[in-house]
Amino acid sequence: MRYIPTTEEQKKEMLKKIGVSSFEALIEGVPQNLRLKNKLNIPEAMSESELEDKIYRIAKKNADFYSMKPLIGAGSYRHFIPEAEKFLLQREEFWTCYTPYQPELSQGTLQSIFEYQSYISRLTKMEVIIPSIYDGASATAEAALMSLRLTHKNKIIVSNLLHPHYRETIKTYLTPHETEIIDLPYKNGLVDMDKLKILIEEDVASIIIQSPNFFGGIENMAKISEIVHSKSILLINVITESMSLGILKAPGEMGADIVAGNAQSFGMDLNYGGPYNAYLGTRKQYIRQIPGRIVGETVDVDGKRVFVMTLRAREQDIRREKATSNICTNHNLNVLAANIFLSLMGTEGLYQISLLNTKSAHYLENLLLQTGKFERVFDCPFYNEFLLKSKDDISSINKKLLENNFVPPLKICEFYQEKNLNNVLLFAVTEVLSRDNLNLVAKILSE
Amino acid sequence: MKLIFEKSIKGRDGYSLPRDLFGDIKIEECLPEYTISKDKKLLSEISEVDVVRHFTKLSKLNYGLDDGFYPLGSCTMKYNPKINEKLASLSNFIYAHPLAPEETVQGCMEIIYDLNKLLCEITGMDEYTMAPAAGAHGELAGILIMRKYFIDRGDVRHKMLIPDSAHGTNPASAAMGGFRVVEVKSNEKGTVNLGELAKLMDEDTVGLMLTNPNTVGLYDEGIEEIEKIIHGKGGLLYYDGANLNASLGIIRPGDAGFDVVHLNLHKTFSTPHGGGGPGAGVIGVKKDLIPYLPTPNIAFNPDQKKYYLSDAGEKSIGMIRAFWSNFAVLLKTYAWILSMGPDGLYNTSETSIINANYVLAKLKKYYKPAYDRYCGHECTVTGREYKKYGVKTLDIAKRIMDYGMHPPTIYFPHFEPYAEETIMIEPPESESKEMLDKFIDIMIKISDEATTKPELLTTAPHNTPIRRTNDALAIKRAILTYDDELKLKDELKYQEKDIDF
Repeated sequence: MRYIPTTEEQKKEMLKKIGVSSFEALIEGVPQNLRLKNKLNIPEAMSESELEDKIYRIAKKNADFYSMKPLIGAGSYRHFIPEAEKFLLQREEFWTCYTPYQPELSQGTLQSIFEYQSYISRLTKMEVIIPSIYDGASATAEAALMSLRLTHKNKIIVSNLLHPHYRETIKTYLTPHETEIIDLPYKNGLVDMDKLKILIEEDVASIIIQSPNFFGGIENMAKISEIVHSKSILLINVITESMSLGILKAPGEMGADIVAGNAQSFGMDLNYGGPYNAYLGTRKQYIRQIPGRIVGETVDVDGKRVFVMTLRAREQDIRREKATSNICTNHNLNVLAANIFLSLMGTEGLYQISLLNTKSAHYLENLLLQTGKFERVFDCPFYNEFLLKSKDDISSINKKLLENNFVPPLKICEFYQEKNLNNVLLFAVTEVLSRDNLNLVAKILSE
Repeated sequence: MKLIFEKSIKGRDGYSLPRDLFGDIKIEECLPEYTISKDKKLLSEISEVDVVRHFTKLSKLNYGLDDGFYPLGSCTMKYNPKINEKLASLSNFIYAHPLAPEETVQGCMEIIYDLNKLLCEITGMDEYTMAPAAGAHGELAGILIMRKYFIDRGDVRHKMLIPDSAHGTNPASAAMGGFRVVEVKSNEKGTVNLGELAKLMDEDTVGLMLTNPNTVGLYDEGIEEIEKIIHGKGGLLYYDGANLNASLGIIRPGDAGFDVVHLNLHKTFSTPHGGGGPGAGVIGVKKDLIPYLPTPNIAFNPDQKKYYLSDAGEKSIGMIRAFWSNFAVLLKTYAWILSMGPDGLYNTSETSIINANYVLAKLKKYYKPAYDRYCGHECTVTGREYKKYGVKTLDIAKRIMDYGMHPPTIYFPHFEPYAEETIMIEPPESESKEMLDKFIDIMIKISDEATTKPELLTTAPHNTPIRRTNDALAIKRAILTYDDELKLKDELKYQEKDIDF
């Protein structure tokens, strides 16, 4: 076996050194009647070339996604990823190593995390960044739990325009705490401010708002913050499309107390849903209640500036059942991907992508409206995703798009059952769609 | 090493974007003023070549598995096959959107579905969920499944039993799942104290979370008795699969009576650790618990010969993440199992157990074992003999680095009187006898140094890119971003050599 260097002869030799006559003696502790009597019933070992053939054959059962252009986002966005990033990620020193418990042998990982914390802090204007929770949904759930710990209250308000998977995940995480979760309805594609004013009471721990929201609308977070902070309630700002931070105002400028952001857009492939990564941002005053790992700067005995995992007394391996979270293995390689991506993009690049995404999305919306086959559902500002109600049947529209090599937009009725959202599509546009691509979409859909 | 920000030069760039052909669209007409950031967010300004050099240099400050021995106990740092990375980078997979029409992602679904079946056979369980992103995430899901199962039966329970040798994630997950954690002490043989377990198990207890072999590397020979005690009071048995590498083809948790199992695919199943993830912490359950699995799962319709996302139904604990799984990790797992086959899996466990016992046999004269008995796939020794020379286990670990290897796990597990100053060594099947011999020689040499030149250890490491770190200062200063550092610039006063190495 190519992955197991020990020969049968060596095994015998080693057993002799151990002082036993057979392997059997080493597993005496395993009760005989529980042992497997037969070989596992799985396929016999494949050679590397057979394996490659098999997986290639299975891959062919997917669509040829490389040559298809996505019109779908909804929490997962296809952006261009520079080859330099992919190349660097393959360095074994990064992807074969463990969690950086030994800083002397892990400065590469640790410094990279520190740089990433610095980037996200500037993008979100939050003081403290927890770099790596599994994904946006679990990060949002962790943010909700954090708000319960900080306020000692047990009620939260969740915007109905938070990604449905995130809402479901929060529910699952909070079930054991019997937290009261109140649904905040929307009005004209944005949070219903009047309802918000009615719902906020002193017993509310936090309110969770996504912006841009699931329909694509950009919420007026500053105004929401003003309302929310009239009571002692924490404002949690969720971001599913972090690329929007290149142009939109930072959550920290608009009063967010905690930010939970899906970082997938920063150089991570779609990968049928994972692995992605998410960050949490907050204020320094809340640092004792943050979940997960964080990296800080210090010096070594020679006075060199170095980086270590820090504020560890909150973590599960030290605090056990009193830890702020159970999170251990997270998504650090994705943190590295995002760090390299942001380094390559730089100040100007991130701004330009963000700008391009905004403009091309608005361009497509305009084109589609001009076909006369679509109408707006809501009239609110959006970044790169928008809803359109179709006069034709959306299933046949999506079929047509698929036949023309576009991954079709999301049928919003899959997540929202309101009558006025029937036959409505959620389009997403990123820089991977050229102006020609968008013209083609409009042409196909005008026929 | 210099930070990326310290290499930034105004006006430089490293990006490449399509030409903006949307000159006719004015941004002010797209977005209202109150939504737009006044300034561009300041990142860094670096050319591509400098980014590549920066991260290449950073990588050289790391020690990876391909550099050599990495015997971290309970982490199963085994070889990560290169072909699996290539397969996971096929464009039909990496560009597959999770909400793309089902007919376009049949390949992804087939892999997830098939892997589910393979893992059921390997562990003796009835059904898996592929959703959990990591071991602890799986633990939480598994605990919520147990919780819901009892609530549905009108049998609300409040306690969870966890051995003192368990990973910290176990009690942390149980607490997140709303349970009161009750610790079960180990006996003098290092395994679960059956008498105490029988006393603690009652009808207010959901069950026991057990790692087997446990974190000291010992098979719990009382497993049949444990099963009777827990099930006898109507409880459920949870299997922490962190140490499954000792069991493949030998014993299946399902056959031993476990009701819920989580597997760390980044441990036993060879997917890379990535400097702390991503992994996957899939969970398998027995028949009665299937309705409680997270939603959705992937099912197969034999009539239409089609895979589809299937809602788990009313009893499900719900979603635990966005979308479906860490698919790329699942694909690598699938490829590894197919490469190994049934004989390869048995060989994996057999070799890792022989490796660990070989290391133990050769080292026990120099480092007292926590328990002097045969172990599973990892062995736990202690460094306490050297305390009288002023040498701690930490010093031994740091000295190992000077000899070009990664140290084992230290100070875990920790419970008195046996397991203190512990050194937990896991030499997986992918390590050769020659590598083990080299490690053993180093450890013996260090034991000699500990008695003759202890200061060599207490000041170690000497040959690493950096040396021992001031962790207390990190907490005190709380410099968590570059901007934090800038604010303290006058106080810090780094010299060039301190930041450019």
